[in-house]
Parts: sequence; structure tokens; C-alpha cells
Amino acid sequence: MANNDRKIGAALTAATCGLLGIAPAASVAAEPEPRWDIDSAFLYYGESDGRVQDMSLSAHATRDFGDERLLGFDVSVDTLTGASPNGAIASGSPQTFTSPSGRATYETPAGEIPLDDTFHDTRFALNGSWSQPFARLYTVNAGLGFSSEFDYQHIGANLGLTRDFNQRNTTLSMAMAYASDSIKPVGGLRQPLSQMGDAVEEDDEEGIEGGGGSDSKNVLDVLLGVTQVLGRHTVLRVNLSYSDSSGYLTDPYKILSVVDPVTGEPVARTPSPGADGPGNVYLYESRPDSRRKEGLYAELRHDFSGKVLQVGYRYSTDDWEVDSHTLESRLRLPFGESGYLEPHVRYYQQTAASFYRYSLPTGPLPEFASADARLSDMNAVTVGLKYGRETAGGNEWNARLEFYQQKAKAPAEFLIGNQVGNTQMPDFNAVILQFGYHFKL
Amino acid sequence: MRKMILLALACVSLEGCAHLGVQPWEREVLARDDMQLDANALDTAFDDHIYFSKEGTSGGRGFGGGGCGCN
Repeated sequence: MANNDRKIGAALTAATCGLLGIAPAASVAAEPEPRWDIDSAFLYYGESDGRVQDMSLSAHATRDFGDERLLGFDVSVDTLTGASPNGAIASGSPQTFTSPSGRATYETPAGEIPLDDTFHDTRFALNGSWSQPFARLYTVNAGLGFSSEFDYQHIGANLGLTRDFNQRNTTLSMAMAYASDSIKPVGGLRQPLSQMGDAVEEDDEEGIEGGGGSDSKNVLDVLLGVTQVLGRHTVLRVNLSYSDSSGYLTDPYKILSVVDPVTGEPVARTPSPGADGPGNVYLYESRPDSRRKEGLYAELRHDFSGKVLQVGYRYSTDDWEVDSHTLESRLRLPFGESGYLEPHVRYYQQTAASFYRYSLPTGPLPEFASADARLSDMNAVTVGLKYGRETAGGNEWNARLEFYQQKAKAPAEFLIGNQVGNTQMPDFNAVILQFGYHFKL
Repeated sequence: MRKMILLALACVSLEGCAHLGVQPWEREVLARDDMQLDANALDTAFDDHIYFSKEGTSGGRGFGGGGCGCN
């Protein structure tokens, strides 16, 4: 009985403190000790036809120190293998390319989109964040993050401030992030629009390695957001974002085919005597060294007696002239006694960058050119389904299966001769499979 | 962009929002985990990473979890 009284007393103390908005003294705290909340998942991403496969393990951990003070960590490891389009066009004859290392060559059969299958990479990423109130109605949050790959390092910091209005029905937020990345391409940096040369022997000191080096990229992001409660069942968020990237924005592994200005067929090249190298002329791509993006993002969540509909829309525009629209929706439906089903659809559409080229005709070269399909006209669709189930202990496990299909299209004005009506783009399908477990410690 | 900002400001102007919202005791549904705007944080992080490396634009929702060479 005495024990019960103590419990009731402690609960009342906590409730009173809660109402008064003050923290109970530790000796009378009835609330559980600060705990970790951990969301973990394994993800498999696999593209069709032996292209990119990625396996990833991630965890998002939050520790609540009370009084809305939260410590967060994100840790992620992923390993990537498979083939990636190198930017060259398909040709009626087999094609030979020098691999990024500059030490070997790889072949593409006639009629196929050239893929570079020499990529293997492991990425490790860690982020830490802290969030706490710092005055009545204000919350501040700050974070640090870094990630590392074989040829790429990232370090970034962010700082944000939110303020509540209207009985906390309206929240305004402002945040900034700054990142400094360094790129050290396999085989070294290439001169923009320089020609892909022959493969060089391992012991050749004049080799590609000599032209090595690294470069950097800085990104500043600014975000202004408002979250508005629209009713007992509806909440809306709208963000405006601005992003300014400067530095090395080129993809060091992407090339363009140089073609005959009339037929559109690749221009032949002869490797040096005794050397192994490309049989056509290919140039390394060149992108501007700055990019400014502006975006609008809106997301609505609405509850229909236990079913939750989420609808999101994003518009993005930038000075590379890539404009995109993304429409996305999830519907969470209660399923069984303690489970849910969540169908997901997403549609994405973008316009080509001003310097996108399907290939480069011989003659004067433009200052910037890239044949990367990610910068061409494109649309993509994702459909998926997630199932989650709560365990007796209050934890949750879930599984998600999604299909992604991407179709790119080269703008007609860049197609030359035989390329018209014969264009091939590196379209692909991918499957996304995820298993997650959400638990508390 | 200017139009977009003006439109957003109009939508979010505090005057306009003052009559929207609920009383503190009407937040039962809004307080549920599945009604939080970051309810699918891990899924979203995976998706952002995938789409960042496969499409021409990214971001907008918040800040991503670190850079990526993403060939």
C-alpha cells in the first residue's frame, strides 16, 4: 500500500510539474529515465541488367534528456557495386574505353549503351545533432556530419531556429547548412573536355596517376519553413529553400561521344602502336563551377479516423535550367490488430540542363557539356508498399518493397543524323527492399 | 521565385493563420506518432539518398544526411 501511495504521489508530482511546465526534481521523478529511441533498417537497392546494386545499414538514434532536449545520431554504411552509364552513346560497332584508373580498358558490345562496371565503393556517414528550447516558444538545433567514400569526403554543419505562435499551432523555422566536400577521383582529375587516352601500364611513371590531384566543392543551404495546424486532423508544412554550390561540380567519370556532324556516328580514333585504348573519340565532361537552386516544398498530413494520408509536392528550379516537379503520397492504413499497410507512390519529372548534350559533333566545342542522363529530360515513377507491425513490447518491425522506373529523353535539338529515331537512353528499373526495426533502450 | 515567395508569405502570414489551429486539449490525433511530419524519417533519408544519386535535383524537405560522390 505504501508503495502504491509513493507511485501515486510521484505521478501527481510529475503531472503537476508537467502542467506548470517545470522539470520535477530527480528524487521525485516518476517518469522513466532518459531513453534511447532507435530506428534501424537494412536496405537493398538493385537496378536491372546488372547495373548499380547498393546495400545499406542505417540507424537513427535519439536520446531524450527531458524538457524537449534531444540528442540525435545517424549512422549509415553502404556498399555499392555494379555498372553505371559512362555517358557515351550506343554504336553499331563494339566500343573500347579506358577505365577510370587509366590502367585498363573495358568493352561495350555493338548496339548497347556503354556501362562502366569498375565501380565499387563503400560509404560511411555519421551525423550528430542537438536540439533544445532556449527561450519561451523558441527551439534551437545544431548538427555536425561527415561522410567518407573512397574518392569523396564530406563535412557539414547546420544550425536551425524555430518559433511557435498561435498556441503552438504555427511554427516558423529557419535553418542554414554549410558543407565542404573534397573529391579525389580515381585516376586523377581530368581537364574538362580533354580526350580519353590509351590505357597506361602500371609501371609507367608518366601515367594518369601523375595527373592526379583533388578538388573541392562547397554548398550553402538555407531553408525557411512554416508548419501550420489546420484542424484537429490536419497539419501542413511549407518550405522555401535556397542552395548555392560552388567548386568542382563535374562528374570526373562521365564522358561524351564525339560524333560526325552529319551522320551522328562516333568519330574513329586509333590507339598508339602497341597500346590498348579507345577506338573512338570521347571527351571528359565539363560542368559550370557554380549552381544555384531554389525550391518550394509542401507536405500535408490528414487523418481520416485512423487512416493517415500524406501528400507532398516539390518544385525546384536552378540556374542550370533543371526544373523539376515531384509529387508523392503515402496512405497509412491500419491492418490487423497492431499492424499497418502503407502504399506509396511518387512521380518525378525534370527538364534538361542547358549544357546537356547527347553527343558532341566535331567542330568548335561548347564551354560546358555533359551527357549524364541525370541532367537530361527525365521522368520517374515509384510505387511501393510498406507493412509494419507493433510487437507486444511496444517496438515495431516493418518491411518495404518498392519499384522505381526511370525514363530519360534527349532533347530533340541535340540529336544528329542517325541518332534521330535511333536514340538510346540508359533507362532502368530498380527494386528497393527494406527491413526495419524500431525499438527503445 | 519572387512570386513563389510572395505566395508563400501570403499563405503563412501570421494574421492569416491566427484563426487556424486547435486548442491544446484538441491535439489527441495530432500528437499521434503517425501524424508527425517526420514519421518516416529513415525511409525518407534512404529515399533522399537514392534520388539524390539518380535524379537531377534533390533536397527541399530538410537537410540531407551528408554528401555523396554518387556516380
